[in-house]
Amino acid sequence: MSLDIDAVIDLLKQGKHVKEETVYTLCLRSQELLMSEANVTHVDTPVTICGDIHGQLHDLLTLFEKSGGVEKTRYVFLGDFVDRGFYSLESFLLLLCYKLRYPDRITLIRGNHETRQITKVYGFYDEIMRKYGNCNVWRYCCEVFDYLSLGAIINNSIFCVHGGLSPEINTLDEIRAIDRKQEVPHEGAMCDLLWSDPEEVDTWSLSPRGAGFLFGKSEVDKFLSTNNVELIARAHQLVMEGYKEMFDGGLVTVWSAPNYCYRCGNVAAVLRIEDDLQRNYTIFEAVQPQDGGGNAIIPTKKPQMDYFL
Amino acid sequence: MSQPSSNNSSLNDSANQKLSKKPISINNTNVTRLHGINTIEINAARQMHSRTISARIPTTTTTRPNNQTSPPTFQPPRSITTTTTTTTKTSIRSTHKCNNPNNPHCPNCESIIIPAPVARMPILDTPSITIHDTWRITSQKGTILNSQQIDDWVQNKLKFNTLPEMIFGENYVKLENLKNGWELQFNALDSLKGVALNDSGIRVAYSEKWKKSKRIDHQRDQVDQESKDFDWTYTTAYRGTETKTTGEGRGLERDDELQLPMDKLSRMDKILYFDDMVLFEDELADNGISILNVKIRVMKERLLLLSRFYLRVDDVLCRIYDTRVYVEFKENKVMREFKQFEDDYNNILNKYKPINSRDPKSLLRDSNWVAENIPLVHRECESVQF
Repeated sequence: MSLDIDAVIDLLKQGKHVKEETVYTLCLRSQELLMSEANVTHVDTPVTICGDIHGQLHDLLTLFEKSGGVEKTRYVFLGDFVDRGFYSLESFLLLLCYKLRYPDRITLIRGNHETRQITKVYGFYDEIMRKYGNCNVWRYCCEVFDYLSLGAIINNSIFCVHGGLSPEINTLDEIRAIDRKQEVPHEGAMCDLLWSDPEEVDTWSLSPRGAGFLFGKSEVDKFLSTNNVELIARAHQLVMEGYKEMFDGGLVTVWSAPNYCYRCGNVAAVLRIEDDLQRNYTIFEAVQPQDGGGNAIIPTKKPQMDYFL
Repeated sequence: MSQPSSNNSSLNDSANQKLSKKPISINNTNVTRLHGINTIEINAARQMHSRTISARIPTTTTTRPNNQTSPPTFQPPRSITTTTTTTTKTSIRSTHKCNNPNNPHCPNCESIIIPAPVARMPILDTPSITIHDTWRITSQKGTILNSQQIDDWVQNKLKFNTLPEMIFGENYVKLENLKNGWELQFNALDSLKGVALNDSGIRVAYSEKWKKSKRIDHQRDQVDQESKDFDWTYTTAYRGTETKTTGEGRGLERDDELQLPMDKLSRMDKILYFDDMVLFEDELADNGISILNVKIRVMKERLLLLSRFYLRVDDVLCRIYDTRVYVEFKENKVMREFKQFEDDYNNILNKYKPINSRDPKSLLRDSNWVAENIPLVHRECESVQF
């Protein structure tokens, strides 16, 4: 089936319905493209690193607008494109379209929400059921999720990943050796890369929830020196200020969903890495819930009066 | 963001109307606003609004923002148009350069320390209503805490380190009896002080499998055990913070025999004041939810407040702690009921009768549905009559 990517991009930008067949073709093409990518993709500077999007399509459009746009800028997205927001499908498809249209300018890394299990609970599956009446489109997208890479390395100096480090991973080559084309397992290195969190801990620690790792400065320092990189850029955790550097600048959390869940009031950030590896953060705010004509473009969280008991 | 004060006075009225809730008035009822809106806040509101308007320009292809045609907008005063009307200037303004020459050097390695940015102060709306000159109800809503505030809470105010992902630290609902110096407040900080400082024993569903997977060799990998010094589910039996502002006088006393007058509360009396807010929320790393929500509705003769803590650990358990506060204004009577509900996740799921094709698990995301299908474990009631 022929595919007019520019036409689809136009539809998506307006939040309009995209036909099931079109999504199918789009997903198939994306898989073919992603299949050829390594687990850890090489990316050149200058590049803009973006954190969680979570289906906030209008904020994603702001992100592109504030950071130069895909025509002029290279991007690395750190995952969590879907769930929570009301436009998960449009956000994810827009990124796929850009990837197909400008393959060298967009790198997509898998987040912990790019899995069948999580999307069933946190909104993406429900959104597809609402928009299509069946779950075919959800299945096509999940197939693409399995091909997303696990990380990226910028100029051999900055390691990008969604969650964090794993005690099973010492070198980047160990990530390259993972068989990534599968649903994210509940344990193992692949799971840790998408789930673990930095914390002020002395050594590898178990999360009090009973699953998942926490890592501290010593683990970060060790990883940086072993792999001769100077920064770990990750997303995964909400930061009010849009980004947060930790461990003497050895790790940064980048968060790109402003006013998360339409009510947190946080700002969002993207991180631009220049050729000399200088870090420039761009901060942006959420779009207004209404357009100029007073039409709602995102649902407002204004309290609805009710006779609760 | 200081602006010449001469611009402010003319715009005060319209901005006030825009920002505040509609005044409410009935017999014997005065609506007051605790604090007036400062001019600085109005300017902040203006600028925020203009920024968001201009932020939309490129996404709507070629249409330029036209403040004239959008009914709820205002005309920005001349002094701030320079920063807000053109896209190019907006993008320059918001680029956050972090190679700031004022950034300090690390004393050890000479590298530049980049401080975390400071989040913009949001506009706080603090509406209130006063009934019979005796009862004052106030609520406030803001954003989540920023990193600095979180550090302050961790270091100085709470006894555990890992706070919920979203803490709405400026949110509160306050009920005051002005004549008797009595106050009941619901806020995030006090609710988190109720989180147990020990291990709840609860683990996510796949924890055993995860830990058994051969890789965790505590000796070899030097992996620390999970920290057990706080309850990661953030379960709190918080029932509000009671204060006697005069230092003495009457307070709530236990009387489990009491029942809330559901007949009176079920009446569809006109709601004069309503608010609904989250105090804290954590998604438990996508293993469920832990959320504390407060709702209040004030009618002419009485009010009802519901503070609900809802915990769902997927495939493990659900827990609801409800605190209801009921005030009968004329009688000057307060009643507070506290109920604990808890059950196994799958027991609740099994109560679902498939009358429609809804995904049963989606029902467990609705705390109202769960509240109707979960057994009561414990109930307490208190009251005070002034």
